[in-house]
Amino acid sequence: MSDTDIQIAICGSAGDGTIAAGSILNQAMARAGYKVIAFDVYPAEIRGFGECIACSRITSAQVFSLKGQSDVLVSLNDGHAIAHVPEVRDYGAVIYDDAPISTLKEGQHISAHIKPAQLPYGLPMRELSERATSAAKSRNMVALGYLAGLYGMPRKAFHETITGKFKGKAAAIAEGNVQAFDAGYAEGEAAFRLDFIELGPAPETSSDAVMMNGNTAIVEGCMEAGLETFFGYPITPATTILEMLAARLPKQGGRVLQTEDEIAAIGAAIGAGYTGARAATATSGPGLALMTEMLGLGVMAEVPVVIFVSQRGGPSTGMPTKTEQSDLNLAVFGGSGDAKRIVLAPTNVEGCYRCAGRAFELAEQYQTPVIVLLDLYLSNRLESVSGLGKTRFAPNLSKGLDAWAPNEAYQRFAITDDWVSPRAIPGEPGGIHTVTGLEHNQLGRPKDTPEIHQLMTEKRHQKVAPAIRHADLSTYKRFGDEGEVDVGLIAWGSTFGEALEAMLQARSEGIRCAAMKVVMLSPLPVDAIRSFCADCREVLVPELNYQGQFANLLTGATGCEVHRFNRVTGRPMQVEDILGEIRRLAKVIKTERRFVAA
Amino acid sequence: MAAPAHHVIIGNGVAGNHAAWVLRARAPDDRITIITIGALLFYDRYQLPQVFRGKHDWRAYLVHPPSYYEQNRIAVRRKCRVTHVDAERRVLTLAHREEVKYDTLLIASGGGGYLPANLIEYRPLFHSFNTFRAAMATARALPEEGTVIMLGGDILGIDVAYNLVDTGHRVLLVPHEQSFWPHKVDPSERPQLFEALSGAGIEVVDEAPVERIEAGENGAPARRVVLADGRELTGDVIMPFYGLAPALEFIARSGVDIERGLLVNPELKSTDAHIWAAGDVCQIWSADENAYRFYYGWKNVKAMGELAARNMTGSEQPFQTFIDETLTVDRAGRLHSSFWDYD
Repeated sequence: MSDTDIQIAICGSAGDGTIAAGSILNQAMARAGYKVIAFDVYPAEIRGFGECIACSRITSAQVFSLKGQSDVLVSLNDGHAIAHVPEVRDYGAVIYDDAPISTLKEGQHISAHIKPAQLPYGLPMRELSERATSAAKSRNMVALGYLAGLYGMPRKAFHETITGKFKGKAAAIAEGNVQAFDAGYAEGEAAFRLDFIELGPAPETSSDAVMMNGNTAIVEGCMEAGLETFFGYPITPATTILEMLAARLPKQGGRVLQTEDEIAAIGAAIGAGYTGARAATATSGPGLALMTEMLGLGVMAEVPVVIFVSQRGGPSTGMPTKTEQSDLNLAVFGGSGDAKRIVLAPTNVEGCYRCAGRAFELAEQYQTPVIVLLDLYLSNRLESVSGLGKTRFAPNLSKGLDAWAPNEAYQRFAITDDWVSPRAIPGEPGGIHTVTGLEHNQLGRPKDTPEIHQLMTEKRHQKVAPAIRHADLSTYKRFGDEGEVDVGLIAWGSTFGEALEAMLQARSEGIRCAAMKVVMLSPLPVDAIRSFCADCREVLVPELNYQGQFANLLTGATGCEVHRFNRVTGRPMQVEDILGEIRRLAKVIKTERRFVAA
Repeated sequence: MAAPAHHVIIGNGVAGNHAAWVLRARAPDDRITIITIGALLFYDRYQLPQVFRGKHDWRAYLVHPPSYYEQNRIAVRRKCRVTHVDAERRVLTLAHREEVKYDTLLIASGGGGYLPANLIEYRPLFHSFNTFRAAMATARALPEEGTVIMLGGDILGIDVAYNLVDTGHRVLLVPHEQSFWPHKVDPSERPQLFEALSGAGIEVVDEAPVERIEAGENGAPARRVVLADGRELTGDVIMPFYGLAPALEFIARSGVDIERGLLVNPELKSTDAHIWAAGDVCQIWSADENAYRFYYGWKNVKAMGELAARNMTGSEQPFQTFIDETLTVDRAGRLHSSFWDYD
């Protein structure tokens, strides 16, 4: 267990500076050398005063998920925070404003809801803010300062982070926020602590550790991989990918265009991919639904293109600011016909970076659309990561025209040993060819004979099969106990972090347990999954959808029986919930063994 | 169907918590709320001297586990200071502007340490022992074998002094007319009692008024007490023990009768039909003495809390004390106060 393991939830209303306070906390603690995983929940409505929560887990050793219960809850708005008091663990702390501005009816103040086993810490946030800055709007900085002072967090790291955050604005803004922070810090330092929350020393860390969320890591991966053109249409939670690339890509000679809709975005991306540019788009489930027709064109025309998809609660407009993993079917199967494509699902922020870069390699190597499937939790989850930029992505893995025998007429869709055809870029001498969404022969000319369709369909499927062995990409990985185990977990996407933590805890309880992450959902590493299942008495598949889409996928492909564990709460999977299932299965196995022995 | 009655108790000590227990037993469906300015649940203050023996985890002092309050549906509003009681509307206001309605109100807010007027300006230089936090602050300020200058020496202070001596500390006691409070000690008996204290290792200095108190700097002892006759005492902490003053500021404008404490009849009811009082905060009418008087000590306070709860739920029993308020010196030469007795 790590020396430091503190989870802090800051809860307020939109406009309270909740997310900003969480962001400063994350960056400051990462700057000080701690590991941080963070996730923000915010309202779907652009206007209004919806609930915001910034949740951060600060540790000295690497962890893989947020905890089910926080150690500290900071209330910037009791109206929202009261509902989250039960999420604070016993002997955890609740920090709140004890000098609100208006008269309250009984029960409207958070102190009425703090459980006997929790510890109340009140401070006059508004008054301290007004004293420090002549305004009440720095309450979030006061609260942050109090939190930092209470637990002896490094003040300097906060000062630097606050100053950095307001860089470029009037100096008085940064100074005011630092003063408000210091006012809170002094109060926190002087407070009599009754909880048992301890901040251990910061671990040694590589100097290049930075706080980053999944979407930012996607952008970093795109930049590192040499993305040249990006087309997008805003949609939560993928919008920030478009925004960040719009700011950065043109500076490196790339181009970004916000199109009129998602169909145009993928159409343009396929067009750019056809011309040989590294091209991508980003969207969410509803956008992907619109893109599926063009996606089919990409498959049929064998055009490299990358589509980043961040899932949210659905169907339809659904829950734009809540997380879910319910677009797996759409990503793997969506569209008309047998439209085989490659689908990657990173499991953490660093994985987003690697998958983004490798997606371009795969798209080129196998001449097909590649979907990188995230979800809101992973898109917005902040982690301290290091080593980004050290990964080198291949600049061009395309099997080019030089692979074609010079004396033969060029066939764009020639059947080869590895099913991948030499690809000519439009304008390349000797590479003239036809491309169409119609079924076609090896020349690319429309042809729909039974033999052609059978052959070309097989080509489009067979050519991507080796993708599961792509260099420097873990398409699956096993963790935990080796050999035969009682309970095995198979998880994908953001849920894998919770599955891994649950598995580690189960092992610490004496349960023989292992976990497998599956990053490549299409083509699926069938043999590896089958082999893993063979080692497990019981297999548990936790995922954030109702249908058990991944469980269906893997049982269909492998024939393995699994236990499904599905949640559609709009929130990340809880470690405790998975752990409960592991314990239940382990108990059943134990009982069976006793029965057999008897 | 009428809403269940809401019984509010101000104070989280012996009286308040025993009242809550009786209320729950007698009114299973009613709401019960304890309001306290402290951050902790009900803890055993009589055990606080254990901080000098290294018992620093507050959980070890709790009388009930946290689950007790949930199981018995007793809400404990901690870190809440009552600023006003509106007896007419039956509403009390908390410092954070929250209004809480009550059907019956029990004032069991206890008392704070009394300070003579000439010492009030030195308050920042004092250490106290009335809460876990204060006890911990004292323990942390006091080095091993350190010296405590105890002013006054009421009976609570003398209990602390014994513990300090037993844990290897030096105690200098500056007597005062409040020494041994709330015991009424005849002046002729004081020398024998002080002798008993000396016998236990407590250094009793000759009585003299305190002239001034100073904080030490630059390596000097942390605290210095200058007496009116010119003598100087040095130590690490100064602890005043001059008896208790009822904590009643919040109810001063509510219309109930107050003298030094909140005045109640023998049934512990105040001059307001919905307000009762129990513990160190109240003065109870004594027909025998034809006066209102205080009753101290754990057993009295517990009995008052339980009685108030019964009377709040329909009984009309008068308070009777069975405690012999005696201060004796046992065969071993050690003082014994009946106020130190508790179950």
